[in-house]
Amino acid sequence: MLVQIAHFLSILSTGLFFTTFLLSFLLDNKDRNITKLISRIYSHGFLLLFVSFLIYVFLALNDSFNVLYIAQHSNSLLPNFYKITSIWSAHEGSMYLWIVFLCLWGFLYSYFVSPEDELKAKALGIISLIAVGFLSFLLFTSNPFETILPVAPIDGADINPVLQDPALAIHPPTLYLGYVGFVIAFANAISFLLNGDNKIKWEDSVRIWSISAWVFLTVGIALGSWWAYYELGWGGYWFWDPVENVALMPWLAATAFIHSLSVSSKSKLLRIWTILLSIMVFSLSLFGAFIVRSGIIDSVHSFANDPERGLYLLSFAGILVVLSLAVFSYRLPSLISNKNIVSFSKESFISINNIIFGTLIFSTMLGILYPLIYEYLYLQKISVGAPYYNAIFVPSTILASLFLFFSVDAKWQRTYKVINTHSAMLLSGILSLLITVLVMFFSKISSLWILISLFTGLLVIIRYIFVIVNFLVNKKYSNPYSIAAHIGLGMLIVSIALNSEFSSERAININLKGKDTYKGYEVSFDNLELIKMSNHDSVKASFVFSDSKGKRFILSPEKRKYFTRGQITTETAIYVTPLKDIYITLGDQLEDGSWIVNIQFNYFIRWVWLSAILMALAGSFLAFSLRRVD
Amino acid sequence: MISVFRFFIFAVPVSLLSFLYFFINDNDYYPGADFTVSEMPAFELNALYDNSIISNSDLKGSYLINVWASWCITCRIEHGFLVRLDAQNIPIVGLNYKDDKDDAIEWLSKYKDPYGLIIHDFSGSLALDMGVTGAPETFLVKDGKIIAHFSGEVNKRIWSDVFVPVIKKEKVKWNDQI
Repeated sequence: MLVQIAHFLSILSTGLFFTTFLLSFLLDNKDRNITKLISRIYSHGFLLLFVSFLIYVFLALNDSFNVLYIAQHSNSLLPNFYKITSIWSAHEGSMYLWIVFLCLWGFLYSYFVSPEDELKAKALGIISLIAVGFLSFLLFTSNPFETILPVAPIDGADINPVLQDPALAIHPPTLYLGYVGFVIAFANAISFLLNGDNKIKWEDSVRIWSISAWVFLTVGIALGSWWAYYELGWGGYWFWDPVENVALMPWLAATAFIHSLSVSSKSKLLRIWTILLSIMVFSLSLFGAFIVRSGIIDSVHSFANDPERGLYLLSFAGILVVLSLAVFSYRLPSLISNKNIVSFSKESFISINNIIFGTLIFSTMLGILYPLIYEYLYLQKISVGAPYYNAIFVPSTILASLFLFFSVDAKWQRTYKVINTHSAMLLSGILSLLITVLVMFFSKISSLWILISLFTGLLVIIRYIFVIVNFLVNKKYSNPYSIAAHIGLGMLIVSIALNSEFSSERAININLKGKDTYKGYEVSFDNLELIKMSNHDSVKASFVFSDSKGKRFILSPEKRKYFTRGQITTETAIYVTPLKDIYITLGDQLEDGSWIVNIQFNYFIRWVWLSAILMALAGSFLAFSLRRVD
Repeated sequence: MISVFRFFIFAVPVSLLSFLYFFINDNDYYPGADFTVSEMPAFELNALYDNSIISNSDLKGSYLINVWASWCITCRIEHGFLVRLDAQNIPIVGLNYKDDKDDAIEWLSKYKDPYGLIIHDFSGSLALDMGVTGAPETFLVKDGKIIAHFSGEVNKRIWSDVFVPVIKKEKVKWNDQI
């Protein structure tokens, strides 16, 4: 019964969103009372949807296995926490959450933004239109409210064990909040284009929303990377999996967008870029949803399902993109600024940044689509992997960082002497070179790309440290958020370079009570025990590591067999030190009784995530500071 | 200048979208379906009911292999359709995947047994060799070669959209021994 109520409420909210859309396009937007009315209808639509979602959460908590989706993805033995997270463990439920978040952003926007804002009514109308599109998709092709009639199963099929993990439980929601958060920027950009008054500063009102969404996207991607590292047992932080790439593209576009936004909100320059990027970020988020949910690509993330879903999402995204580009193209002549960008001004560097990011997005898109085009033409499956992406991302990132290095002291709308003997610039160049040479000398790195990456990464970090010093000593103001975020970027480059240089792995064959050595550590296989848990059996091995200095520690990797799904998972054991992770996974037992064990030394991997967190922190402090100004 | 720019901002997404549209609408495309031809891997496993040994030599001609387990809810949903296929004399080999033997037998006695032969793959070794990622999955094998593979629930629509075209194209003659 409750499930029907939830279903009905979501249909009702679709109706209210549709009303919001109609009214915002039919009525006069300049009247603030009408704007108030429109936001009120929108908010009610959201509240109905939210209540429907809460009922669904309640059903999941109460093991309502008469709901097909809950029966397929939950189980009465699960802890309550995972009963809730099982909602977004597969297609229907995660789409539901996606939509709730989309509407939540719209609700917050309608609550916090004053009705005086001329763009508000139409922006809400556009958000509602998108909500209607996705709610229809949910209700017609992927209904999470479907029931099993007449008799409900006694128990559910259980959530996939690799998803029973706190990091993964929060990874999808965070990522979704990021993806759909850009709807505010998109809706405002379109509303601005439709309005036709170029004096309106739409850029100012969307900054806080876009930066918050960017923070969620960054954290979401980092969480996914961290989870894959310790749970899947592959031992890396990024695999250029198609679904990772469809999350990376909106991130790249969003990063370019928030940079471009700061230019447009100050001087109305780069407005075309900014609008185009806002359309791009949201379109790429939709494209991501399409790729993941159409089953078009094989990946860890893909949801197998029917072609109707893919077709619906593709058509909906297509209509949205073409319509927004049509409006954009119609208004294009009036947006062209007759002011030229001064060379070596901050604007000029940011437009170079836009071009580099555009190239990266285009190349990633090509990497995802090329196998499909190839398959379509030659009926053969190929895959585009890390070598392709490295060949593009490494030089582009280095180039972007070099431009960043030279842009640190650039001024808005004024040129400045780029090549000078400016002490901070010269000193950071010398220092980075010195450190790079020292590292090369002591660790015998021979790869040129690694050395160049290391050098540019250090260049960025040290240059910004000089900015901080300059602030502390001379009280010269600079933007603290920018400093933190860019130091994060420098750290990211350095840690990725060092990680790929130093990390190593080896699979060894080892008997119980046997010994082996790897990289100066003596590894002895101490113990093997069978543990029975409530929902799985586990084989737990203990390995004692000791180095020449007498430091000892025990690592206990596991292999688990889950009862309900019969699935086998490996649980890695990781010894974390500031510089490196010692990472061990238990493989199969061979016929002679020995075990295959994989040992990895992953250098600087924690620093990769730390850098991402630093960037996200910078973003969130920036968002808070903007809130204060409002 | 503006017109060139306009052309490009439309041309790029529109060509991309239309390619994807044609890709999805192509007859050969179906999510979860894979038509790459591969060898049926060699195996030697026990039969579910009587523990007798089943190997490749017991499987000749054309037949379906359906991967299922008693713990799999989707398999239960799929089951009714398999029973109907069995009624049309289509040979289905069951691959009981990572399942407890008694549970599997009890499950079959409760919901009817559409399988001519059931391989009990407790460790999942054959399923691994065949590229199974979960249950249910269904394979169409012709003379020792896998010619179609579908991941997910087979129902009336999947059967007519994914399997029937291959069956017609490859002129499949069903093995009537299974």
